[in-house]
Formats: sequence, C-alpha cells, structure tokens
Amino acid sequence: MKARRVKGLDPEAPLGDNAERIVRVRLDELTSFMPKAADSGEIVALHDMRIAAKRLRYVLEVTGDCFGPYAAGAVKMVKDLQDLLGEIHDCDVQLPEVSAFLEELVAEDVEAAGATPKGLAKAPNRRTYAGLVALHVHLRARRRALFEQFLELWLDFERKGFAARLAFALSERSQSPET
Amino acid sequence: MAKAAEIDVDPFEPYALAAARVVRVRAEELFAHAEDVLDTSDIERVHDMRVASRRLRAVLEIFEPCFPKGDFKTVLRDVKALADALGERRDPDVHIEAMEAFEKDVQAAVRPGIDALVARLRERQSRGNDTLAAALEQVRECDLHARLHSLADGAEELIVE
Repeated sequence: MKARRVKGLDPEAPLGDNAERIVRVRLDELTSFMPKAADSGEIVALHDMRIAAKRLRYVLEVTGDCFGPYAAGAVKMVKDLQDLLGEIHDCDVQLPEVSAFLEELVAEDVEAAGATPKGLAKAPNRRTYAGLVALHVHLRARRRALFEQFLELWLDFERKGFAARLAFALSERSQSPET
Repeated sequence: MAKAAEIDVDPFEPYALAAARVVRVRAEELFAHAEDVLDTSDIERVHDMRVASRRLRAVLEIFEPCFPKGDFKTVLRDVKALADALGERRDPDVHIEAMEAFEKDVQAAVRPGIDALVARLRERQSRGNDTLAAALEQVRECDLHARLHSLADGAEELIVE
C-alpha cells in the first residue's frame, strides 16, 4: 500500500510542526480502514491496515516526544495493534501455502497410486496428509481467534477515544520554545 | 530483539537537523547488526538486522523532504532491496520456528506432514540466505553506509547554509 502524500513539509521549519502533519495523515490513514477491516474476509484491507499501523508507529517512535503526553503512550497501543494484525496476516499467508503444498503432494501421489485402492500403499506422501490438514485446521482456528481479538482491541481503542486523544496531543508541544 | 536507541528530539529544532541526527543513528544500528547475519543457527541476528532496516527505511521516508532528491531515491531503493533480502531469509526462519513449536503439541500421526513442510521451508531458508549474501555484497559494493551518512550531511547543510 502506497503511503498518502503529506503536504506542506518544510525542512527549515520546526520538527514538531512537520511531524504533526505527518502523524495526522498517518492516523487518518489507519482509521480509514474501519469499518471495512471489521469484515474478516477483507484480507487486503486488514493487510493495508497493518501497514498503516506500522507507519504510524514508526513516526510516533521517532517524533512522539515532540507532542503532548498521550502521544508517547499511543506508540504502545499502535504496536499492539500492528502485532495483532501481523499475526492475522501470517495466517493469511500460511493458509494458501499449506493448501498448495498439500495439493502438490497429493498430485504426486495420484501419479504413483494407480487405479485401485491397494495402490494407495505406494503413494509416497500418504503419511503427510494428516499433518497438513491438521495444520490447516489449526491456522483457520487461530486466525478466527486473532480476528476476534482484533475487533475487541479496536473497540477498546474507540472506547478510550484513541484517535481523538492522539489528535489532540499532536496540537500540544512537549516543551516551550525557550526551554 | 535489539531495542532501537532512544533519540532525543526537540519540537522546535529544524526538521532537517533532526533528520540528519536520526538517520545517522538508525544507519549505525543497521550496520551494527550485520555481523554473522548469514548464520542460520542463530535466527535472532537476521531478525535484529531486519528490524533495523525497517526502522531506517521508515525514518528515510519520514524525513524525505530534507534530503537531496537524487541521492535520496537511490539510497532508499538500496535500503528497500536490503530489507527485502532480509525478509526472504527471515520469513522461512519464523515459519520453521512456528512449525517446530506446533509439532511439539500434536500427536505423532501429524508429525510427518509437518516434517515435510519444514524440509520445504529449509530449502527456502537456504535460498533466502543466498539472496541475503548477494544483497550484503551489493551493500558493500555500493557503499550504502557512507551514502547514508552523506545523505545526513546533505540535510544538515540545508540548515547551515
């Protein structure tokens, strides 16, 4: 996912003002994926939301100390969100890989097994099916549980007013110009 | 996992001066993790270097307007290429580790399938290591380390001038 362009950045202007512009865009990017990403089948939206969380986290890690106190705590919240979305993404990547590998092994066995049931004893990969099917089941169950956690975490963000509080902290500066 | 160094920032310092300082620190972190990164017996090394590459890429993008355009483009391209190569190695590392943990908690009948998958992943890990070795050589040849510092100098000069 390509990051949204941040307008009005000026290398000679104060870091805090530039960072504020960047974080506002990245925060807006993150929140724009909801409610679409609340649909568990929206794999692309969930993946893009993870990337958006990563971008917001990194800019806050570097510039969070410029802003009001809420910004520093927001880094941990965004990291938790990114980690959870990352685990969901891992399942989304692994599930088709496991299916493809199983299909590859089955295809090899089709060649070796011949037309009678007794031929199955000659299938070289026959002992691998159970493990790969079990793994597939495990990954689907894990993905479902992680997705539920994601919905709960986002609801918690909303209850705590995460986006509004972070947006407010961006308008504050951690120190005054003369200090 | 290696923790990134805390970098003091002042909201009122010029954006470009912060850019120079932050990029120098993140560049040093990247190269500090390069030693023995091809050793597959310790997968944390490649993980640490990958995280450092992501952080470096992120700060390059955050401070992009502060750097000379042409130099920035090629440096970012090379950092991305290194990060991608680190990912080629890291992804099978993580997957293998997860499969080995999974195998410990399942019945014996399930294990042959997981072993077959791990064997496949080891092949990918080996190819990933070759890709990473080539990328590290490329980083040396194009002197990415010095070019990152030169980029930081460029940002600083913008303010000094």
